[in-house]
Amino acid sequence: MFCFIALLVFSVLGIFSATHRKFAKEAFDCVFRRITFRPCNTGFREKVRGIILVKLMKRSSFFAKVFNKYFELIAWIFFVLMIVSTFYVGRGAYNFYLYGNCNGVNEEGFCLFDPTGENNKISPVAPTCGLDTPTVDDLSLANTDLDKFFFIDNNSEDTVVFIGCYVCDFTRKAFPDIEKLLEKKKPNFYFGHLPVKHGSDFISSYDYCAREDTSGDYWKFVELMFTSDIENINDQNYLQEVVDKAGYDKSKIDECLADPETLASIEQNIFNIGNTNIYGTPLVFVNNKAIVGPKPYRVYKGFLK
Amino acid sequence: MNIKKLRKDFYFLQKKNYIYFDNACNSLRPDCVVEKINEYYKEYPVCAGRSNYALAEKLTTDLLGVRKNIAKFISAKEDEIIFTKNTTESINLLANSLDLKEGDIVLTTDKEHNSNLIPWIKLKSKGVIHKTINSNPDNTFNIERLSKVLCPEVKLLALGMSSNLDGVSIPAKEIIDLAHKNGSLVLLDAAQSAISEKIDVKYLDVDFLAFSGHKILGPSGTGVLFGKKDLLEKLGSFLVGGSTVHSSSYDDFELADIPERFEAGLQNFSGILGLGEAIKYLEKIGLKNIQKQKLVLNEYLSNELLKIDKLHIIGPEEASRRSGIVSFYIDDIDSHQLSIMLDRSAGIMTRSGQHCVHSWFKSREVASSLRVSMSFYNTLDEVKKFVDELNNIIKILR
Ligand SMILES: Cc1ncc(COP(=O)(O)O)c(C=O)c1O
Repeated sequence: MFCFIALLVFSVLGIFSATHRKFAKEAFDCVFRRITFRPCNTGFREKVRGIILVKLMKRSSFFAKVFNKYFELIAWIFFVLMIVSTFYVGRGAYNFYLYGNCNGVNEEGFCLFDPTGENNKISPVAPTCGLDTPTVDDLSLANTDLDKFFFIDNNSEDTVVFIGCYVCDFTRKAFPDIEKLLEKKKPNFYFGHLPVKHGSDFISSYDYCAREDTSGDYWKFVELMFTSDIENINDQNYLQEVVDKAGYDKSKIDECLADPETLASIEQNIFNIGNTNIYGTPLVFVNNKAIVGPKPYRVYKGFLK
Repeated sequence: MNIKKLRKDFYFLQKKNYIYFDNACNSLRPDCVVEKINEYYKEYPVCAGRSNYALAEKLTTDLLGVRKNIAKFISAKEDEIIFTKNTTESINLLANSLDLKEGDIVLTTDKEHNSNLIPWIKLKSKGVIHKTINSNPDNTFNIERLSKVLCPEVKLLALGMSSNLDGVSIPAKEIIDLAHKNGSLVLLDAAQSAISEKIDVKYLDVDFLAFSGHKILGPSGTGVLFGKKDLLEKLGSFLVGGSTVHSSSYDDFELADIPERFEAGLQNFSGILGLGEAIKYLEKIGLKNIQKQKLVLNEYLSNELLKIDKLHIIGPEEASRRSGIVSFYIDDIDSHQLSIMLDRSAGIMTRSGQHCVHSWFKSREVASSLRVSMSFYNTLDEVKKFVDELNNIIKILR
């Protein structure tokens, strides 16, 4: 049995180190010989035991004695630990593939395959005074009026709601994948801009006016906003150019920007988006499933019908 | 014999952290042997025998010199010496070229190395019968049993002269005399004894004798088969081809003289030259001195080992009857584990297992043993260190 256990353990460790690969091969020989009922004279079990015992012996003969006495038990404990950890690694890999995170969709905590947590990062929304910061479980579209969002009707059974902010790094990271999803899978699509960064109020105004005005192509405007450098977007003159490129009638946009109603409407929209209990951007709902942070394309796709 | 000084002849022994106790498998080689091998490759890496340029002639002469030296080493004639790869090949050569027929019996002891067992068992396909002579309980040779089993059908006795299992030697002269009276030939497997006792094939009157170069300070892959000239002349041929014939036509060939007819293909020139050097070195030290040192070490080691509870030495208790070998097992401790731990903790190299004598272990139902095989360059300090380390390990394992 020891040979079987060792074969499993060393095969896994062998992925990372040549020394363990050597042991894995010996364990394989040991198993093979036993299976075919040839006398197992590799002494593999004794070899492994001996090597560990000598290492322990040099530090403490007491520990070496204990190890020797409970060798079988200790081997089993290590085996069980290895199986358990292998299971978790496997599950982590599976979760990473499906959700872009080892621990499950929107979960935090360390993930070997995404060690810097890129797929989970968000630009946080400033907490509302007097209210608890919402969590993943609070995210919902139930109290949000989607009519106030920009909408592309693709007559699909899938619905994707994308909430983000033009100057936020992680929304920008997610944008190409969202766009790809829109192009390839053609879901019904909602977009709402949520300004999470201070000092970008005029950007919200441009966004609002571009959306309200039908003289230009709003989605073109959005694309330009997400693909331009952040410094440029923070510059009003540049936004004029964007509006221009998106085919808007500049005078109409200026008119809207100057309208005192505009700010009030933006406030309302922000409030409406806030009803999702959003705590950071990007936030994407694919068929009502909330996904926080920029995930790989396959994750968004995975939630489509 | 100044061991400290002698050890300087061995580059390997200058490494402080090794203790080599696996001499029954393969001895260490003095620097002169290594240098001789290098000399061949550097100074005259050419073909012997077949070519007539000066360097080839020098090599041919040197090889002949080695053949003569080896012959002298065992008191034989130079054309009675056949170069082989090792003892195993020597025995196989004989087993495949002796004229053994259906119903002929080959006798061995019950503790032969596989190399002197399998070639004879294999002859079963020709109807040749292999039988064993059981040893005494202390693993020594039972001469009475031999005299009882000798009969006209016994054509050959193939016997380990000294056992790699326990170091015990057989009374070779007595056995050979008995065998010859019965009309049987005798092959001695001298793999273990060639380095510890003076072998005089003339005095022994032995018919064939095999040994390996690498167990007597020589290079790996060198071996010797001695055969009495008249018997070699009568042997059939085994491996044939280049070097084994005087001439050939499309449908026939004329075998070369002995011993060349048994040395097929290009030979291990560097190895043979190295073996020649090893023999010179051995003669300089003297086999008696070698044996004396082995016995001193064995005496000390055996006494210390016998103090350990549940430890059994294979073979007779008296160290003087086991040359440089102590093979032992401990009832409640695995030999492999001991060997590994000795190596990893103190760099002591020993051999664990069944030492290619599976048959003996199976019949005695002993799983394995730990073999300490010492040579003249080992010291008492090394043996003491071994004993200390062994005791430490046993304390952990019990
Ligand atoms: C008694 C005996 N016979 C034969 C052999 C085989 O020798 P080789 O492997 O050199 O052919 C050995 C090797 O250990 C031996 O000890």
